[in-house]
Amino acid sequence: MKDFEYFQPATLDDALALLQRYRGSGSLFAGGTDLLVQMKEHVRQPAQVIDIKKIPGMDDFAFDAKTGLRLGALVTTRQVETSPITLRHYAGLAKAATDFASIQVRHRATVVGNVCRASPSADTLPPLIADGADLLIQGPAGQRRIPVQDFCTGPGRTVLAADEIVTHIQIPAPPPRTGKAYIKHGRRAQMELATVGVAVRITLDADGSVADLGLVLAAVAPTPLRALRAEALLRGRRPTTEALAAAAQAASDEARPIGDVRGSADYRREMVRVLTRRALEQALREIRP
Amino acid sequence: MSKRVVSFTVNGEAREIVVAPNRSLLDALRTEAGLTGTKKGCDVGECGSCTVILNGQPVNACLVLAAEADGADITTVEGLQAADGTPHPLQDCFMQCGAAQCGFCTPGILVAAKALLDRNPAPTTDEIRFAIAGNICRCTGYSKIIDAIAMASTAQEATR
Amino acid sequence: MSDNAIIGKSVKRQDLLAKVTGDARYVADMQLPGLLYARSKRSNVAHALIRRIDTSRALALPGVKAVLTHQNVPRVLHAGSPHPRSASVTCDQYILDDKVRYWGETVAVVAATSEEIAEAALDLIEVEYEPLPAVFTTDDAAREGAPLIHDREPGGNLVLPPVKTSRGDVERGFAEADLIIEGEYEGGRPTPAYMEPNACMCQWDGNGNLTVWISTQTAFMVRGIIAEVLGLPLHKVRVLVDHMGGGFGAKQDLFQSEFLCALLAKQTRRPVRMEYTREETFLGGRTRHPAKIWLKQGFKKDGTLTARQARVVFNSGAYGSHGPGVTIVGTGALSSLYRCDNVELEGRCLYTNSPIAGAYRGYGVVQTYYALDIQMDEAAHKLGMDPAELKLKNAVREGDIAPSGHPLIGHGLEDCIRRGMQEVGWAALRRRTRDSGVQRRGWGMGCEMHGSSAYPGIKEQGNAIVKMNEDGSVVLLTGTAGLGTGAHTALAQIVAEELGLRFESVSVMHGDTDVVPWDIGAFASHTTYLGGKAAQLAAAEVKRQLFDRAAELLEAAAGDLESIEGVIRVRGSDRTISIRDAVAPRKGVPAAQLVGSATYHPTKSYSFAAHFVEVVVDTETGQITVLQVVPVHEIGKIIHPIAAAGQIEGGIQQGIGHTLYEDYQIDLKTGRSLNANFVDYKMPLSMDMPPIRTVILETAPDPGGPFGAKGVGEDPIVAIGPAIANAVHDAIGVRFRHYPIRPEQVLQALREKQADATAQNEEGVTA
Repeated sequence: MKDFEYFQPATLDDALALLQRYRGSGSLFAGGTDLLVQMKEHVRQPAQVIDIKKIPGMDDFAFDAKTGLRLGALVTTRQVETSPITLRHYAGLAKAATDFASIQVRHRATVVGNVCRASPSADTLPPLIADGADLLIQGPAGQRRIPVQDFCTGPGRTVLAADEIVTHIQIPAPPPRTGKAYIKHGRRAQMELATVGVAVRITLDADGSVADLGLVLAAVAPTPLRALRAEALLRGRRPTTEALAAAAQAASDEARPIGDVRGSADYRREMVRVLTRRALEQALREIRP
Repeated sequence: MSKRVVSFTVNGEAREIVVAPNRSLLDALRTEAGLTGTKKGCDVGECGSCTVILNGQPVNACLVLAAEADGADITTVEGLQAADGTPHPLQDCFMQCGAAQCGFCTPGILVAAKALLDRNPAPTTDEIRFAIAGNICRCTGYSKIIDAIAMASTAQEATR
Repeated sequence: MSDNAIIGKSVKRQDLLAKVTGDARYVADMQLPGLLYARSKRSNVAHALIRRIDTSRALALPGVKAVLTHQNVPRVLHAGSPHPRSASVTCDQYILDDKVRYWGETVAVVAATSEEIAEAALDLIEVEYEPLPAVFTTDDAAREGAPLIHDREPGGNLVLPPVKTSRGDVERGFAEADLIIEGEYEGGRPTPAYMEPNACMCQWDGNGNLTVWISTQTAFMVRGIIAEVLGLPLHKVRVLVDHMGGGFGAKQDLFQSEFLCALLAKQTRRPVRMEYTREETFLGGRTRHPAKIWLKQGFKKDGTLTARQARVVFNSGAYGSHGPGVTIVGTGALSSLYRCDNVELEGRCLYTNSPIAGAYRGYGVVQTYYALDIQMDEAAHKLGMDPAELKLKNAVREGDIAPSGHPLIGHGLEDCIRRGMQEVGWAALRRRTRDSGVQRRGWGMGCEMHGSSAYPGIKEQGNAIVKMNEDGSVVLLTGTAGLGTGAHTALAQIVAEELGLRFESVSVMHGDTDVVPWDIGAFASHTTYLGGKAAQLAAAEVKRQLFDRAAELLEAAAGDLESIEGVIRVRGSDRTISIRDAVAPRKGVPAAQLVGSATYHPTKSYSFAAHFVEVVVDTETGQITVLQVVPVHEIGKIIHPIAAAGQIEGGIQQGIGHTLYEDYQIDLKTGRSLNANFVDYKMPLSMDMPPIRTVILETAPDPGGPFGAKGVGEDPIVAIGPAIANAVHDAIGVRFRHYPIRPEQVLQALREKQADATAQNEEGVTA
């Protein structure tokens, strides 16, 4: 890694001041499992590294049955993987955090870091989007709130300004009769970048038809892709085998994958179809009566 | 950039080193602290050879800055034996089962296994496989590694 | 099972304590005062002349002590893998050339006071390339008018003249056949991906003596070629190998970094250490030879083979490395395994501007037996026979001439097949109803044979010295390398067994070319067979001297003595003397100085294996998962059961990787590496490995090996591939003739099969 200046600000304001001062040349540093790799591979060479791990209050992990789950910027994927709260209410996110990487990386990598990295194949983004999560962002002008769905603008690009910090994720509490799933496709059982990822959140109403759902795809577009047409096919309908198959086909049609060393575009499209159907089936099975 | 003093405890011993900010914990442990047991297999967190326990958690030392380990409590492979040299049950079982061949991945796997047994003293085979999913071994095919970890957990449970 | 005291037991391996405590020193762990760190600058073009290379800015960087390019290193043409007395040597490398022939070739090296500074200096070296037209496939390299990568005989981008083998009359053989089968098979580009990146450290002393610490399988070869290229006599070059973290064959080459490290150390007058990054182990490492194999065989309707014809083409990459050896061994292997009187084979090896292919466990036979065994399965299908029965019927056996030119001993292959069939209940599996749902399971089997020793390609030699200390303990001096397989423990067991000592009384000295006798290196599965036999012979010589001395003391004939557990006894009596007492000094008599040395020229022994594999195919995603493996191996005599099983399990992991996941890929337009990292070069990990139930047989011991022992290191990686491919066919009725088999290829094949079936149904309906 090239030389850099290293800061460990003690407060959020100090961190914001550093970001402001080193606008464009400084990088925030939390888990480091993306940043340090990028630095070693010469993809990013920040002259200043601003470590936010000493800032108090950035590691909250609080669930409320009405307002949902609030995760601070320093919450690790390991915490999300193992928390009884996430396992019960945010199963898609918990699965994404589990499949995400090795345990050595999961202990360090933060969910917010995975979000901000905005890789098209990021694992936590699809479940967060499917769950309707928001990001709380602090900047020099104060705080703003933005849906995760609107956060990524391209591979590795977000709407976050150079002087802003994401401080929290807020995920709504799941309504009753909601099931969630995340399926990641890769050649091996673990240690994979998703070739395709599918996150589902599905809520049934009392008569068993689909009240609402979120269906979000990873690795088949420049950003996580919400399969709106597929969702529309299911909303208000009963989740029959035919309906699920139709939704899966629609999701496959909406996907815009590229081909690369991990898989061809055609194969990814086909996996969207297969895995969307499987994820829907799995999420439906998760619904407690 | 200016170097700084970093103090941490490694294997129960207080150490102080002087490093530049861009020095990884892995390089600092191996060079400045003279603990070469932890290995560099890929330097980008993909192989697990550099696994150490940092404040109770198994992590890849190549993805931790030495500077941020100030005040930390670290365990490396060198810290597994007892003070009088008695091997840790994991070390004993690895030797008995033939769970090491070339030995390069062994320190990382031992440390990851220790972290597993610390949090889950009686893991199933699947849990063992999952705990070392981030450690690459190219020699053994993993069978004997898994046997050894299972054997060590039984041995430790027996002495509880 | 074993009536030996020490052989056949899994004694405590002597090297493991250091490995589990972190005390074991690998080259990158070694420090010397004043150490400098070296890094390589690599090309970002596949085929080009170096028009200009400017190192001035790098030299000006504080902390940089030396920079070398083709302009300031000796220009000596040499072989990258210079096994002495061998036919398979390709002299086509310079330390650094004014031309690059593959993406990632070293163009300069830097020595600096820290790794970070050395790395920063690489960016300051300016290189101007004049690109040359490049070829990346053997088809393109072989074409008329293709750009020549090396200006040497035989020309046409051939690494060596085509290798031709024949016996009998294939025309007649095909004429006699009731069934003729022909197919094209293709092997991709797996790499060894050993966990310890290549590393070496060099230091000169004031008298011009060079010491090299290096992670290598062939210390004496390194010594020999460094001495030759740098113009030194051998006694002024000392190569030290302590622990090394895997090689799998690939660390038998010179990687240019050894010379460069030595030259940097000479220029700076400081020790220099160079470690490859993981990326460099791909870019500058050695891969398996990608291969294309056309294979045609004739069968009688009862399954007897009548003819076999093959054309094999190996892709050498940019340099010759082990091209000749792999071509000769891989092609020659097709003359055997399944008996055939009429054989005609041709093997070629071509340069391309791709990563260098070298020696890798299996050495050409992984490729050719993948084709051969799969085609046997195809033939069985067409003949309506059980593939295991077909292979059993045609399996080579006692007296058949092996590729080495020698007759085989025993019925090892048949024993493996029969035992495996029994273990898995093969007949019942064949009769079972196949799955028809989304997840479909299948069973397959694959066979192989592999020789221990590189004979006759290399006239090998194993040497050993055994010396007995005055307390009866013993040191074995062996030149064999310690890859991590437990070989030195096996050698110690052999010596202990031969001498009748306790295992703990033997220590092994290795890894110092100044001290141990010359050794060709650890490869070709020959360490136990060759090094072990030499050790046994040296121990036998010490035993002869020991018994002569003890005979006097026991007043018996030396021929009536035997020793066990450190005690010499007159057979059939209770007169004994401990070995210690027999050699110790007595009043007026000094301690005995017993030293035995032996040289062994092996021929070759063959080990056999049959792997039985169950897979499951997900017909919606195309993913293949191996559910279980029952590998049956015949290895003559097991020296250390756990070590032998370890070789088998590890080889299976690599073979599963080859067959399903691993492929080191390059962009076929530019030659740029696409996956020189562990993110996208995928090896099976802990969660991907199936349960393995290993069976080892000792039914065909070879008198050429110590206590009848043969090798086992390479056999597992050869048998597992075709077993998996055949199991996939059993599961879904699709025949794959290449590796790796990708999920989308499985889906594509299933789709085509479905389309064919639909078309046939429609025809049936309208007919």
